[in-house]
Order: sequence, then C-alpha cells, then structure tokens
Amino acid sequence: MLLPLSWLREFVPFAGTAEELADRLTMLGLEVEEVRDPFAHLAPVVTGRVVECRPHPGADHLFLCRVDVGGPEVLPIVCGAPNVAAGQVVPVAPVGTTLPGGLTIQKAKIRGEVSLGMICSERELGLGEAHGGILVLDAGLAPGLSLPHALGLEREVLDVSITPNRADCLSILGLARETAAAFGLPLQLPTVLVEEAGAPWSLAVTVEAEVCPLYQARLIRGLRPVPSPPWMRYRLMACGMRPHNAVVDVTNYVLLETGQPLHAFDAHRLRGEVIRAARTQQAMDFVTLDGQTRRLLPGDILIWDGEGPVAVAGVMGGQNAEVSEATTTVLLESAVFAPLVVRQTARRLGIASEAAYRFERGVDPVGNSWAMNRAAALLAELAGGTIAPGVAKAEPRPYTERTVRFRPARVAEVLGVDPGETFARTTLVALGCAVRQEAEDWAVTLPSWRLDLEREIDLVEEVARFFGMDRLPAILPLVPRSLEDLAQADTSFAETSAVKAWGRSVGLLEAVNYSFVSAADMARCGLPLEGAVRVANPLSEDMEVLRTDLVPGMLRALRTSIAGGTTRVRLFEISRVFSRDATSETGVAEALRLGILLHGARFPERAPYPRGEAGFADIKGLVEHLFQHLGLGGCRWRAQSVRPYLAQQAEVILDGGCAGAVGCIRPELADAYEARGPVWYADIDLETVLRLARQTRRQFVPLPRFPVVRRDVTLRLGWETSVDALLDTIAAMDESLVDEYFVLDVYEPGEGMVRHVTLRVVYRHPERTLKDKEVDKVHGRIVAHLLRQLPVQVV
Amino acid sequence: MKRELVAQLERLVPRFDEMLAQAAAPEELEAARVAFLGRKGELAALMARMGELAVDDRPEVGRVANAVKAKLTELWQQAQQRMLPRPEGAYFDAGEPGWVPDVGALHPTTLIQQEICAVLQRLGFETVSGPEVETDFHNFEALNLPPGHPARDMQDTLYITERILLRTHTSPMQVRTMLARRPPLAIIAPGKVYRRDSDLTHTPMFHQIEGLLVDRHVTMAQLRGVLTALVQAIFGPSTRVRFRPSFFPFTEPSAEVDMSCVLCTGRGVLESGELCRVCKGTGWVEILGCGMVDPAVFAQVGIDAAVWSGFAFGLGVERIAMLKYGIGDLRLFFENDTRFVRQFA
Ligand SMILES: [Zn+2]
Repeated sequence: MLLPLSWLREFVPFAGTAEELADRLTMLGLEVEEVRDPFAHLAPVVTGRVVECRPHPGADHLFLCRVDVGGPEVLPIVCGAPNVAAGQVVPVAPVGTTLPGGLTIQKAKIRGEVSLGMICSERELGLGEAHGGILVLDAGLAPGLSLPHALGLEREVLDVSITPNRADCLSILGLARETAAAFGLPLQLPTVLVEEAGAPWSLAVTVEAEVCPLYQARLIRGLRPVPSPPWMRYRLMACGMRPHNAVVDVTNYVLLETGQPLHAFDAHRLRGEVIRAARTQQAMDFVTLDGQTRRLLPGDILIWDGEGPVAVAGVMGGQNAEVSEATTTVLLESAVFAPLVVRQTARRLGIASEAAYRFERGVDPVGNSWAMNRAAALLAELAGGTIAPGVAKAEPRPYTERTVRFRPARVAEVLGVDPGETFARTTLVALGCAVRQEAEDWAVTLPSWRLDLEREIDLVEEVARFFGMDRLPAILPLVPRSLEDLAQADTSFAETSAVKAWGRSVGLLEAVNYSFVSAADMARCGLPLEGAVRVANPLSEDMEVLRTDLVPGMLRALRTSIAGGTTRVRLFEISRVFSRDATSETGVAEALRLGILLHGARFPERAPYPRGEAGFADIKGLVEHLFQHLGLGGCRWRAQSVRPYLAQQAEVILDGGCAGAVGCIRPELADAYEARGPVWYADIDLETVLRLARQTRRQFVPLPRFPVVRRDVTLRLGWETSVDALLDTIAAMDESLVDEYFVLDVYEPGEGMVRHVTLRVVYRHPERTLKDKEVDKVHGRIVAHLLRQLPVQVV
Repeated sequence: MKRELVAQLERLVPRFDEMLAQAAAPEELEAARVAFLGRKGELAALMARMGELAVDDRPEVGRVANAVKAKLTELWQQAQQRMLPRPEGAYFDAGEPGWVPDVGALHPTTLIQQEICAVLQRLGFETVSGPEVETDFHNFEALNLPPGHPARDMQDTLYITERILLRTHTSPMQVRTMLARRPPLAIIAPGKVYRRDSDLTHTPMFHQIEGLLVDRHVTMAQLRGVLTALVQAIFGPSTRVRFRPSFFPFTEPSAEVDMSCVLCTGRGVLESGELCRVCKGTGWVEILGCGMVDPAVFAQVGIDAAVWSGFAFGLGVERIAMLKYGIGDLRLFFENDTRFVRQFA
C-alpha cells in the first residue's frame, strides 16, 4: 500500500516527518519498506517564464523562445508547440535532464539556432496524455521552481507492507486511523455533501445472501466526459495507478481512500431496471472490460442486469456496460462480496485487481455507504454530475455489532509485563472500540472495519502493539522436562549429526543438494521413474521428481566442483530419498541415505604425500571406517550389481541385510558429468545402519595375558576367487587358538591373471604360552583346508 | 621350480624389513645386510640357483631378482638413515611440509542448525524431526490456514497431489508434536522446507528451525528471553534484539524479530561512511518470525487453551548463515562447489 503523506494529512493532523511516521508504523506491525519520491525524476525540471517568443527564421512551426528559469542567464530554447506564447509560465527541462520517456536533453542547434533545453508537454513529463502542446502552468508561479514543488506533487510516499489480516489498512483511511491512535491525534473525515436532485428512479436489487450480504448503488446523471483534475491524477500516479477519466479515476480514488472497491456501470447500457448479484449456475464465456474473453464456471458471483451478466462481482466489470467517453449516466455500485468466492474466481481467471485484493480480505460493511456517497459527491463536483434521489439497496445480512468479553488481566498474563488497565482501555477506544465494564471484565464492541478482531486474544495483541512489543522484557523460562520426554526422545538429529561429524573427521566435504531432480537426470543414472514421487507443479523440468537416490545431485556437485577447477573431489551428503508408499500417511516414504563420492588423487598432489589415484580400496575403506566408528561388527562384501549407475560394484551386508553399495560410477555416466578419470561412489542406507548402531552395546573384554605367535602363508589365487573367500574359510573352521587373521600383503606378479596373497594368522592361548609345535599343527591344518576348499596354491 | 624361486625372492622383502625393524644398533643392521645382501647372503644364494632354470624362464626371474634387490637396498638405506647419529638440529628442517590428514567440512546450513540446536538444547528444548512431504492438514489447516485463506499466498507451495505437499515451513512439526504428546512440551525441529520460488533471494529448498514451548503461564517475555539468548549465543553478547508486531495465522500476538546489523553493528553506516548494504541503512536485519500459539491451533490439536499457553518461532537457517559468515549469494548454498564448502572446515 502506497501512502502519500499529504493525503494522510487530510485525514489526520500529523505534523511529524515521513521518517517518524515510518518508524512508528513499522513498530506497529505496518512495516514501511521505504519512503519514496514518486516524482523524483521531475525534480530537475523547472518553471520558466517565456520572456520572448518569435517564429524561427529558418523553419515553419518552430518558435525561438527566450526563457527565464530564475538563473543569471535567460535560456534560448527552440520550441515546436503551437500554443507557446510570451508571458506563459512553462515547465522547462534544462540540458542534462532525462525525461520519463528516456530522452535526455542535450545542447542542440536546430536549423541553425542554439537551444538549451526543452519546454515540455504533459505527456513528455509523464503527467498525462495531453501532447497537443506544452503544459502551461499557473502564470503566478515564479521562475526557477522545481516542477514537483510548483505543481504540489506528492514528494513523500510511504511504501507500507500490509499483512493479510489488516484489510482495513489497504486504505488511506485505515492508515490514518492507526496514525491517529498512535500519536493521539483526532481523525478527520472529509465532509461529504450528497445533494440529490432530478427525477426519481428505480432499480430492483436482488442478491444471493450467502455471497453478497450488501449491495447498494446510486445513479449519477449528466456527467461530462472530462478528465479528473490534476491533483487527483497526480495522487493516483503517486499511488502507482494510471489516470483514465473522471468517472474511473473517482472510483479508484475512493478505493484507495477508503478501501471499498466501487464499480461504475454506464447506466444506459444496463438492460431492464433490475440488478441481481448471484452465483452463476452454468459455465459461460464473458468479455471483461480489458477485452478478454473469460471462462466463468458455476459458483462464480456475477452481477446481472435484466438480460445477462454485466460484471464478475468484485473482480472486474464487463465490456458490455463499461463507461466510455459517451457515458453521461452511471450506476455506482458499492457492495460486499464473499471473500472466498472472489478469491477463487480472481485466482482462476488470473486477475490481480485492486478490487479483488480487497474483497478477498474483507471490506467494511458499514463504511460502505460513506465510500459510495464520497464517490457520488466527487463525481458531482468534478464531472458535473447530478446525484439522483435515493439509493437502490439490498442488505439481506445487515452488519450486527460484535462484542467480545475481555479480561484486562489477560494482557499481563500473555505478555509477561503489565501495560496497565488505563493504557489498555485508551488503546481500545482509540482504535474505535467501545468499552463497557461488566463486573470484573470488559465488554468490548469491535469496530466494523476491523474484521480481523474476533477474540479476546486479538484485543490483547492490539494492546501489545500499541504498548510496543519491543518493550517486553527478556526472561528465560524454566523449561519443563518429564521422564517420559527423556524416554521417548527423538534421537535422529543427534545421530545424523554424529555421522556428519564422522564425514568431516575423515576429510570429506558435506554437500546439500536439492531434493528434486529432473527425470532426465534419473534416466541418465538408470534410476527407474516408477515408484518415484512427482511434483505436480514443479518450478521447472529440473525439479520435477523427488530423488530416489542421492547420486544425481552428487554428480552435479562433482561437475560444479570440476568446473570450478577442483581436481580432487571428496564429498558426502546425508539427506532423504523419497518413494511412493501407499501405507504412509502422505503416500510417500522418506528414508535417510548417505552418499560418498571420491574423484581424483588419493592424497593432495604435493609433498609429502605419495602420488596415485583413489580407488575401490578408498571408498570401501571409508564405509568400513564408518561402520567401525559406529561400533558395528564386521560387514561383508558381495560383488553384485545392485545400482544401475555403478560398474565394478559390491553390496555391503550388515547383520545379514544389504546396507548399501559401493563401486565405480559407470564411465559413460562419469563422462557426462565432466569427470576425468574414475569416480568412486558409496550409497549407504543410513536408516538400517543407524538402527543397527542403536542396538550396539559396547562390551569390555579382559586384556589377554599371554603372547601371540604369528604365522604367514602366501597363496596364489586367480581373480575368480575373492580374498574374502580365504578369510571366510578360516572363519568357518572356528579354530579356538586363532586370535585374529588378516591380509598382510597382496602382490600382482604380472604373470597371468593371478595374485599372491599373504595371510597372517595370529595364535594365542588364553591361559598359557603356546609352543611352536602346537601352532605349527593348527597352522598346517588351516593351510591344508584352504588348499582343499579353494582353487589356490601355496606359493 | 621357477614359481618357487620367485616366491622365495619375494618373501625376502617382508623378512628383511622385519629384521631391520628389530635392529637396535648399527652392528645388528650390518648383520642383517650381510645375511640378505652380502656375498654369501640369501639373495645371492637364490640368484645362484638361476642356473638351474630353463633358459626361457631366466629373464623373468632375473627381473624379479633385480626388483627385489633394489627394494632390499632401499630398505637398508632407509634403516641406515634411521640409525645415523644425528647431531642436535642437523638433518632436521621444521619447514618441510607435514603430513596433514584431509580436513573435512560441514555445510554451513549444518553448522548453523547444530549451533542453534545446541543453544536451545542447553535451554531444555528437545530436537525432533518429521516428514518433508506433508499433508495439507499439518502444513496449513491445523495451523489456522484453512483453504482459501489469503495468508496462503505468503507461501507458494509445491504440491504432490491436491492434499499432499512439500512442507512450506517447519511449523507442521508443532502440530505433529502437539498431536503426539501432551503438554508441557519444549521442542525444536530443524529441517528442509520447500517453496515454489526461485530468484536471487529465494531457492526452492531451504532450511528452517521451528521452536515450540507449551506450558502453563508461558509469556511473550519468555519468548523474548529465549530468542535473545539464541541470537546472542550465535552473534555475540552485544547483539541487540528488536520485537516488531507482525502477522502469522498460527500465532497471536505475532512478532517479527530483528537483530542489530552485524556488518555496521546497528549504526546503518559503515566506517567508510557508506550506507550499509546488509541492513539498507536501517541498522536492523529481520531474522525470524514468532508469537504466542494461537488458541485456534490449540483447538485443532485438542489442547485446552484455558489451561495451556505457549510460544512458537521459526527461523531461516540460510539467512542466519549468510549474516554470520558474510555469504552474499544464496544460490551458492546448493551448488556445492568444493571451494565453497571447504571454507566451513
Ligand atoms: Zn548494517
């Protein structure tokens, strides 16, 4: 809502500055975004007196003027306007001025004559449509005045952002009420004199009570097709509205002034002496006054004359009864329409009209008459109209006064500080409430324009607003906790944070990608679309599907990092993935996943680190590190194709179930994301991992007292036999003296497809020192068993 | 024969390494060298057996033998280095680069969420989480935002179906908590939220933290206490907090909270005399919305507003992160350029 300070001052004698008002309104919850000067661009334009005007010797229709603009020099200006004459006071744009149309005035030589400025028309100044000649100002104005000052244009306009509850403040009047209450000033309404005259008229008004509780109209005859006066046009412009003609301008002016949208029909174009406000029963096409054909649906409220619809109620009038240059008689409508229906219709039709915006939020049913009369009186005054006697009206649901019980003590209970009963009473009265004492409590009658006030708490808020919420003290509450709270505590944030802390500690950088991806990204990764959740109204194709896997986002992050010049990328993300699930309340299942991505060198490429690319061992090692970090027992790996975007992959088994997969991003997919070399990726089902971690109990084992004996064996095996198989086979033997065993070394001799794998088996007896002989016996048994069970040979 | 010889050669390496590792004196080191690399050492013995091989096999085994010899020599030299008597200060340069394990970093939204949750947990609030895909009921209706309410315009919504949507704020967690548990309640709910909005200052996904306290005799002064504690914990004890009336359908009274600008310390102008661009010269920046739980919300979740009262607040994590770390461009948050995230190590 744009609030010109001078307009406000017609309603309330506020003598302070725009900044003082802006600060106070902001602290009342009416946030002032800025104080602007809507005509700042006209400030360089000055008044000038034409001291001499003679025809240009070298051109017809041009005049050589000498113009006094208050400076030491009289400016020579070549002017082509037919109406320019000596003695006039005119607007002069000096050299260097940029006019609203974008034209910058330069020193010029026109047909041999020097011109140091331009005498402007209304249109050139952006102040109106007149362009037949220059704008001639009041001859009494002194030369050299800045044009906005000379014309009395609004220089200070407050841009106030109005919250959806404050429909009353979508008007000068509403903001004036707040200002009056805030500064203890009286509210002064302009006098409205309705002088009725002329022949009686009749109009039968019927309304559908559910959607139109009030409809009234006045008839104004004998209107002349004139523009509205400059002061009105300038005000409308200051509020961002384009002036049209007196009739339209007056309805807009009163809308801004009172918040009550009005509509003017050309009365001669209405058929039959009836008006009806009712919902349409059937769909139909209707041409609105902007010339567009609109599809109306059953339920839309329309205004009907004797033959058909003439307006979409509260949204936009129809072309068939639009006022024009030829209009002499208007029917001025002032009504109240159902907010929800107006909102639905306006939204569906895509019409964001000032009228609909206010009807959606609710208009003052009592102030309605004042607005209508104000507009009628202005039409009579400014367009020569005569107000016909009487009002055509239907009011099936007259406004009834609303009264709320208010306990003054509630204010202190809610706020934690007591502004006092006197303050509360003064505030409520200043806001237009009537306060009556009833025993301990007050009966507060609410003003008709504050439809947002309904309950005691709403009044508490009003008192708090005027008391100043910034005056509340800061007091820490004693937050209550029960044993139940602690027992059923939600641990997910702490658990996720712990895994994130792990990621950071192993040198990974955390990525946070959008939850939505494109269907194309999914397809590129081979992820199926069925079972995925689609956004019904996505912002773009890039964001149409909720991700079922973190990999598309991680690959995008990789591409961004590579584009940024990073060659070594180590990222992780912990976020939710989404899938359809009929058993869920929302039809969607959400599950926490961990994605880890490695690309480029294993270590930073400088001293003292060794060179070399990260590989499968790195990504696998990170996952095992996480599991050990979380206190989970050993995991198992199974080479298996489980992720469509991975090559050379293995799934990881925890507690018998699959907990994720690691592998190498398929080369053609990695290429598509600009990777130079292999991209290693782990996709971990964090729900499962955290569930198992939650069940883990740490248990102390007494330290061994006797020394170990180590034995190594080097085996030769092909790629078809996994190193895991060696370890599993030893595990299956369950030898009691075996303390631990691990792969000591893997060596590829480079002859054929074989590896030499050295295993170390560590032996220990819990109660005594082992003898070499008994170790040899067990070790021999283990080696013999390996050779029997697996296609391996001792090297 | 060939294979056995190769294996024996290869095994020299770990055996030698182990022996060197156990050597405590230069004499022991020398003994190890003689045993393995000496003229009558193990390597020499194995190499002597080359002659027994088939002629074709000799080059390959020869290559292995040479590789093993090189490795053994390297190991011995390293061991010798270790053993050298080093005068104080010599052979030592503290300026040589250290082996720094990779330094990881958390995303700034994570850092801010953890920091805020930590402060509020110290004050007694419990952290909870809930679904990002929500029902219209939890996201809007129960929060006093019935269908057609003009305040729904404040949040452009991404829908899955007509009644299912991506939550537009973390406030549905108020509803879920109050439906699931009886008061007194004190929770905070951090998480992702979504809006159908994308420009320089809006991303379609961002993070919020919701706070809710429901108890007997909760006051707005207590709300101010908690938020002041929070803001001062994050931005420093000299930060000032300003409460300004506002409107949210689910709180009444409602307030917008501003804090004194971090860049110009609330003066509106910088040292250079320029107008501060962060607060646009006002000295204040808006950081969160809050208020007392509206009785209509209590009615939706079956809590008696005559007995219980409460406050709620919601803050934007990215906004706090931008102010705290001086990040100027919101879009950087979700591009995940390594150079961006690395700065939050
Ligand atoms: Zn600042």
